[in-house]
Amino acid sequence: MSRDIREVVRDEPLMRDRLLELLADGPLTVPELAAAAHMPASEVMVWLMGMRKYGYVFEEKGPGRLFEYRYSAVKRP
Amino acid sequence: MDYDALVVGRGIGGMESALKLGDMGYRVLVVEKEASVGGRMVLLSKVFPTLDCASCIATPKMAATAHHPNVTVLTDSEVEAVSSDGGGRFLVRVHTRPRFVDLAACTGCRQCEQACTVAVPDEWNGEMVSRRAAYIAYPQAIPQKALIERRGTSPCTDACPAGIRAHGYVSLVRSGLYEEAFQLLLEATPLAATLGAACYAPCETVCTRGELEGPVAIRRLKRFVAERHYATADGPGVTPGEPNGRRVAIVGSGPAGLTAAWQLARAGYGVRVFEAGPEPGGFLRQAIPAYRLPAELLDQDVANVTALGVEITTNSPIADVAALKVEGYDAVLLATGTPESRPLGIPGEDLEGVQAGVAFLRDVRAGHPPDLAGKRVVVVGGGNVAMDSARTAIRLGASETRVAYRRGREEMPAHRAELNDALTEGADLELLVAPVQVIGDADRRVAALRCRRIELGEPDDTGRRRPVPVPGSEFDIECDVVIAAVGLTTAVETFAGALLGAPPAGPVDERTLQSVIPWLFAAGDLVTGPSDIARAVGQGRQAAQAIDRWLCGERRGLATVPDPLGVVDRAEVLARQKSHSRRESGLRPVNVTPRPRDFDQLEPPIGEEDARAAAGRCLDCGVCSECGQCLPACPANAIDLSMRGNDRSLEVGAVVLATGYRIFPADLKPQYGHGRFANVITGLQMERLLAPTRPYTSVLRPSDGKIPMRIAYVMCTGSRDESVGNPLCSKFCCMYSLKQNQLIMGVLRFAEVTVHYIDIRAVGKGYEEFFEQSKGMGVNFVKGRVAEIRETPEANLILRYEDVDHGTLAEAEYDLVVLAVGVQPNQDLGQLLAAQGVAFDDRAYVDEVDEDYRPTATSVPGIFVAGALSGPRDIPESILHAGAAAIQVAAHLESLKAPA
Ligand SMILES: Cc1cc2nc3c(=O)[nH]c(=O)nc-3n(C[C@H](O)[C@H](O)[C@H](O)COP(=O)(O)OP(=O)(O)OC[C@H]3O[C@@H](n4cnc5c(N)ncnc54)[C@H](O)[C@@H]3O)c2cc1C
Ligand code: SF4
Ligand code: SF4
Repeated sequence: MSRDIREVVRDEPLMRDRLLELLADGPLTVPELAAAAHMPASEVMVWLMGMRKYGYVFEEKGPGRLFEYRYSAVKRP
Repeated sequence: MDYDALVVGRGIGGMESALKLGDMGYRVLVVEKEASVGGRMVLLSKVFPTLDCASCIATPKMAATAHHPNVTVLTDSEVEAVSSDGGGRFLVRVHTRPRFVDLAACTGCRQCEQACTVAVPDEWNGEMVSRRAAYIAYPQAIPQKALIERRGTSPCTDACPAGIRAHGYVSLVRSGLYEEAFQLLLEATPLAATLGAACYAPCETVCTRGELEGPVAIRRLKRFVAERHYATADGPGVTPGEPNGRRVAIVGSGPAGLTAAWQLARAGYGVRVFEAGPEPGGFLRQAIPAYRLPAELLDQDVANVTALGVEITTNSPIADVAALKVEGYDAVLLATGTPESRPLGIPGEDLEGVQAGVAFLRDVRAGHPPDLAGKRVVVVGGGNVAMDSARTAIRLGASETRVAYRRGREEMPAHRAELNDALTEGADLELLVAPVQVIGDADRRVAALRCRRIELGEPDDTGRRRPVPVPGSEFDIECDVVIAAVGLTTAVETFAGALLGAPPAGPVDERTLQSVIPWLFAAGDLVTGPSDIARAVGQGRQAAQAIDRWLCGERRGLATVPDPLGVVDRAEVLARQKSHSRRESGLRPVNVTPRPRDFDQLEPPIGEEDARAAAGRCLDCGVCSECGQCLPACPANAIDLSMRGNDRSLEVGAVVLATGYRIFPADLKPQYGHGRFANVITGLQMERLLAPTRPYTSVLRPSDGKIPMRIAYVMCTGSRDESVGNPLCSKFCCMYSLKQNQLIMGVLRFAEVTVHYIDIRAVGKGYEEFFEQSKGMGVNFVKGRVAEIRETPEANLILRYEDVDHGTLAEAEYDLVVLAVGVQPNQDLGQLLAAQGVAFDDRAYVDEVDEDYRPTATSVPGIFVAGALSGPRDIPESILHAGAAAIQVAAHLESLKAPA
C-alpha cells in the first residue's frame, strides 16, 4: 500500500457512495470493484471491509474449490 | 488511605492481581489507559496449546473485575504522578480523559458509531479496517459503552470567530450529507451563503492542510452547501421555537443584527429588526462589492431570517432607543456597525472629487455609481475598504488607480488575497506616503493629492512600525478623484448618549454585551470597531445568548457558542501519518483578470463532485469533527461534547505495575516491507484475522481480498536480533505462530504454510507436543533467517532466505507473509518510575531485584510488578506472576498494619 493507512481509511466516507453505486448492478469481487472504480485494490479492500463492518455490504462465496468472495450492497430504505 | 492497592494496567496480569487482592478483602483501584479493560489477550484468536477461545477466558475475568465489590476501575485514565510518603504508602495523581459519553446512560447500541462521519484506522483490529471517532473498542469491550475520540478542537473550528464548527461541516460534505452540513451552519448563523462567498476565512489561514499543498477550501464548501440547499429547498428547514411572549427590537440588519435576530427567533422570541437603509444586510448589502457578494446570495440568507417570522422594517433609522422600550420591547440590541468614514483631516478635503470609501461603495451598490470613466483615482488607505474601493474604481473605468498607504506592503492590514487581486486587476501601490493636502483647480475640483514620504520608525503598541514623515519630501500625485478609506467609526451619537458614559469598561460589558442600561445590548462592529463578517456573526450570537439569559434566566434551546476544548497541535496532527500524499484542491481558481469592467461574481461555484473531493482533503485534526450527527442518533441522549477530564489525588498502600509489553514495530525491519507491501502483516494482525470478531470476511490478502494459498511465517522479527537492539527472545512468538499455523490449516484447507525459523522454543507443559502436532498437520519448517522480502506486480512476495539444513540461499514466492513480531518493554511509565527509584534491567524491563526470594518486588518497597512488564511472559506465566504479586502486596499491606 503506497498511501498511509490513516489517509486511506479517512477516504471511506468519501468513496462509500461511489462503491455502492458500482455494486448496485450485482456482486463484485475486490479486484473487479477496484477495476470499476479505477482505484487500487488494496485501498478498495480497506473501504469495503469498513463498509462491511458498518452494514453497507455483505459477502457471498463464489463458486469452486478456490472460491473468491463477492460483495453486494445491503438494500437500505 | 483511599485504596489499599493501585493496579496500573488492566491486561490479564493486572486483572489477576486486582481480583486476587479484592478476594482477600483489600480495596483496589485499577487504572487503565485504554477505553476497555482486558489488555492484549482479549484480542487474540485462541490460546496455545489448548486452542481454547481467548476471549472466552478473558471476558469472564474482565466482567469479574468490573463488578467486583472491592475493585474500582478507571478506564481512559493514566497515572501522572506517584510519590512515596516515606511510611510505605504512596500518593498518586490519576488523570481521567473525558469520554464525551455518559456511561450511566449509554446502552452500547452503537447508533452513534453508525452515524459518525469520521473514519480512523481501528487499532483494535491491527489497523486493517476502519472504526469511527465515536466507537466501542470491540464487541467484548468492558465497559460496553461508547466513547468519542476527541484530541482537541480542530484549528479551523477554533479559529472561526462566528463559532461555526468548520471541521464538522467539512466532514459532513465529505460524507455527502449536504443538508446536514447546511443545518450545522444554521446553528450559528442564517448567513451561510454570505460567509461562503465573502468571509476572510481565518479557518483556512490555520488549516493544517496548509502545511502541505494548501488549506482545505473550507469557505467555498460553505457556499456549496448553502447554494445546494437554496436550489432544492423552500425555506431554511428550521421551525421557530414556541413563542415565549417576549419581544426584542434589533437596530441594524448587518451580520450581527441578522444573526441575533435568527438566534432569538429560533428560541421563540418575537423579533423586529429596524434598518436605516432601503434593504437589509448592512455592509453586506451596502459596501461589499457585488463581484465578491452578489445580492442574490444575500437575499437567500436574509430569507432564512424572515422565514422564522422576524420582521425587518427598512428605511427606519432609529434615533431614540428609549422609545422602543416604551413601545413594549423587552430588550433592544444595537447592531449599527461603523457606518461613518474617518476624514483624512487635511486641507482640501471638501473639494469636488473627494469621497469617503464606504460612501463611494454604497453609491455603487445602490445603483448610483460616480462616473469614473477615464479618470485618475487615488485611494488613500491600506485596508480592505481601500482594496474594495480600488477594485470598484477599476470596474468603473478609471484610467489609473493608485493606492496610497503610509506604511509598507507587509504592514498593509488588507487581507492578502484582496491585495493580490487588486494588484492583478491593475491597481498600483504608492507605499510609505501620507497625504498632506488635496490640491484643487480653479473650479474647486481635485487636481492632485499632495503627499509626504514616510520612513518607518520603532514599532507602536499594535506592533507595527510607526510612520515618521521625512521633512521636505512633499510631492504631488496628479489625479481627478481621491477616495478616503482610512478607517470607519460608529455613529453612536445618534443614540443620544444611551450607550455613552460608562467608562472605563467601554460602552458594554465584554462578555454579556449589556450596556449600563440593562435592557440595552450592543453587538458587532459597533462594539469591536471595524472587523469582519464572521466576528460580527459571533457577536450577534453572543448578544442573543446574553439577551436570552437576561430575559429568561437560562439557556433554552438557544445554540450556544461552543466552549472549545483547547486547540489540537498541528504538528501532532501531521505526525500521525508516516507520509502524506499530494492532493491538490482540484477547484477552479478564482478568475481574476486585469482591468475587469463588470461586477459579476469572480469565484465560480463548485459542483458536488469537486466539493466532496475538496472536503476529502481534510486531515480530521481533532479526530471528532463535532459534526453533531451522533447527538440525535443516540436514543439514550448519552452524548455530551461538553464533558471535560478530571484529576484525582489518592493515597494507596501499595502499587502493582502491570502495563505489559509493547509490540515490536515491524517497520523497523525495512527489508521485510511491512507498511509498504500490503501482504506483509504481523502476527498480531493474523490473530485478528483468525478471531471470531475479525476485520475481514476470512483470512484474506489485504492487497485484493483473495484467499492466500501460500503463507510464510518469518520468526524472530525484532527478537534475538542485535541489528534492532534486542538480543532477547520474546518467548511466545514461536508458540503463537504454531497456534496460528494450526488455525489457518483449519480455516483454509488447501493452504500451504511454511515457517522460516532459527529454532522453535516450545518450553512449557504440552508445548513440545503442540509443535509436533503442527508438523504432523503438514506445516513446512525451514531453518534459517530471512534476508529480505520483495514484492511482485501481483502483490505476491518473494522471500530470500537461508536454508541451514541444506546449506543454501534460496528464494520462494508466497501470497501472504506473517512477521512473528516480538515484544519490547513498555516504557510508558519509565520516567515516572525511575524518579521514584524503580530500577530497570539492562533491557529496560522493570527489574525484580530479588527474583528468587521475592518475585514481583521491585527496588522500591511497596511497588510490585505483574506480567510482561518485567520480561516477556505468555498468558499462563503472566497469570501466575500476577498472583504472586498479589501475595506480595498483601504481605506489604499487613506489614503496614503491624505495630512498629
Ligand atoms: C500476536 C500475539 C499472540 C499471542 N498469543 C498468545 C497465546 O496464544 N497464548 C499466550 O499465552 N500468550 C499469547 N500472547 C502473549 C500475551 O498476549 C501476553 O502474555 C499477555 O497479554 C501479557 O499480559 P499483561 O497483562 O502483562 O499485558 P497486556 O495484556 O499488554 O496488558 C497491559 C495493559 O496495560 C495498559 N497500559 C499500558 N500502559 C499504561 C499506562 N501508562 N497506564 C495505564 N494503563 C496502561 C494497556 O493498555 C493494557 O491494557 C500473544 C502475544 C502476541 C503479541
Ligand atoms: S460529533 Fe460527529 S465526528 Fe464527532 S463523534 Fe459525533 S458524529 Fe462523530
Ligand atoms: S485539515 Fe480539516 S480539520 Fe484540520 S484545520 Fe483543515 S479543515 Fe480543519
